[in-house]
Amino acid sequence: MATSNLTNFSRRSERGLIVKYAILTVAIFAPLIWAFLVVRNVYPIAAWNVMMAGGDLERGRNYCILRGETVSGGTIDIPAIELTNALYSRTWTMVNATVGNQSFKLASIHPANAELIRSAGGIDKLPPGARLPDLLESWGRLYNNRLPESSPQRLKAIRVDMYRWDGGTYSDYEKFIQSWRKEL
Amino acid sequence: MAQGIVNRVVPGSALALGVVRSIVHGTFLVSVLVTSFSALGALPVTIMRPTGVMKLLPWGFYDRLLTPSGMATLKIIMVASLALSATGLFTSISTKTSFLLVVFYQGLVRSFGHFNHDEMLGVYCLAVLAFTPCGDSFSLDHWLRRTEKTRPRWAYAYPILLMQLLMAWVYFSSALIKLRVAGLKYLTVDNLPALAIFHSLDNLHDTHFKLAFWLPQVRSYLPYAVGLVLVWELLFPLAVFWPRSRWWLLGAGVLFHISTLFFMNIFFPHQLVLYLIFVNWDAIARRFHRSVID
Repeated sequence: MATSNLTNFSRRSERGLIVKYAILTVAIFAPLIWAFLVVRNVYPIAAWNVMMAGGDLERGRNYCILRGETVSGGTIDIPAIELTNALYSRTWTMVNATVGNQSFKLASIHPANAELIRSAGGIDKLPPGARLPDLLESWGRLYNNRLPESSPQRLKAIRVDMYRWDGGTYSDYEKFIQSWRKEL
Repeated sequence: MAQGIVNRVVPGSALALGVVRSIVHGTFLVSVLVTSFSALGALPVTIMRPTGVMKLLPWGFYDRLLTPSGMATLKIIMVASLALSATGLFTSISTKTSFLLVVFYQGLVRSFGHFNHDEMLGVYCLAVLAFTPCGDSFSLDHWLRRTEKTRPRWAYAYPILLMQLLMAWVYFSSALIKLRVAGLKYLTVDNLPALAIFHSLDNLHDTHFKLAFWLPQVRSYLPYAVGLVLVWELLFPLAVFWPRSRWWLLGAGVLFHISTLFFMNIFFPHQLVLYLIFVNWDAIARRFHRSVID
């Protein structure tokens, strides 16, 4: 047992370990306490603000459904998690952010996005979901790559349909807003 | 005296800390193994929104990394590092490389979506393990060395205590933030059903359970359920300091996280696995030894 050899562990080593653990404790908890006080996540510093505001029945919300149009003529719902499982739990916010052109509103923009803003004549001239076709193309390709060339389940197009639940009542959840479609 | 208190609260040993290392690193190893990195690499870099420290890296770096082959390479490196740290080989180095790689990867996926909290507790546990002697037992290093390191028990108990305190902080601070931000409005009858239904409308969540649509029928009872969850979160630190309450609080946690899966399509599997850091691994090892001898 480790305890039987404690005499080998000098007081100096013990003091060093105490100091090391004290630094480790402060290095972990000080940023967490800061994030808690300002209620802000600055990766990798987390404030546990999960569901902090709760739900508000009066507030309307938009949501999206990912669908595919197969070569056989059918329309199918596609669970995005099966295409990019790395995003686990984060797919819906990625789509919402892409619809809202959030990647064009950063302090440091990707050069290709900066070029798109220039060619559009300003960020306010960009249509909603300016990069959504790129995302849809990636998803469409991932989906089709898993199927044989002859499969009738292959997609000829993929789209995101946006709906709105206006809130106020527990009904009328599916008010259609807009679609983004990409031919494959 | 403080060391005595640590030993009383957390009966840690080199073996217990080694088991916890295997659990935390093994969880991330399994998670990485079942994830398609090449599919992530197929997504357009132009929809990324680097978050926190991820902003420090230039776009040119992400352009090169976010390709199917670039991400497949990252996966191989992560699997190698996490396999070494989970089994305890070159532990003092592999726990640090695993910690850095997981911090980077978790930042990368959060740069596409939102700041999901499920894996964050695990990331902090990796930080603790990277700087503590977690390879002194239950590791290939120990098995190959075949000699005992000589450290006092508190050197192994304190890191376990730190990880338990981190979990207590997760729940306790979560309840306090809800009370600070929403106050008593958090206990309104529509809070839970409105939130749960919103998370059940799309097909972009990982699961598509529809139990949320039943909640409006029982909405008058839901403030009590939400209140109970808040009380449970506030009481969670007792799981660290009062072992008798531990299994009740952890049991309630399992129930809570399974409920959020079925009612809200939100699940925290990494956090649930980390409940295992509350298990007294020394007692289990003693029982195992006794049964082997008998």
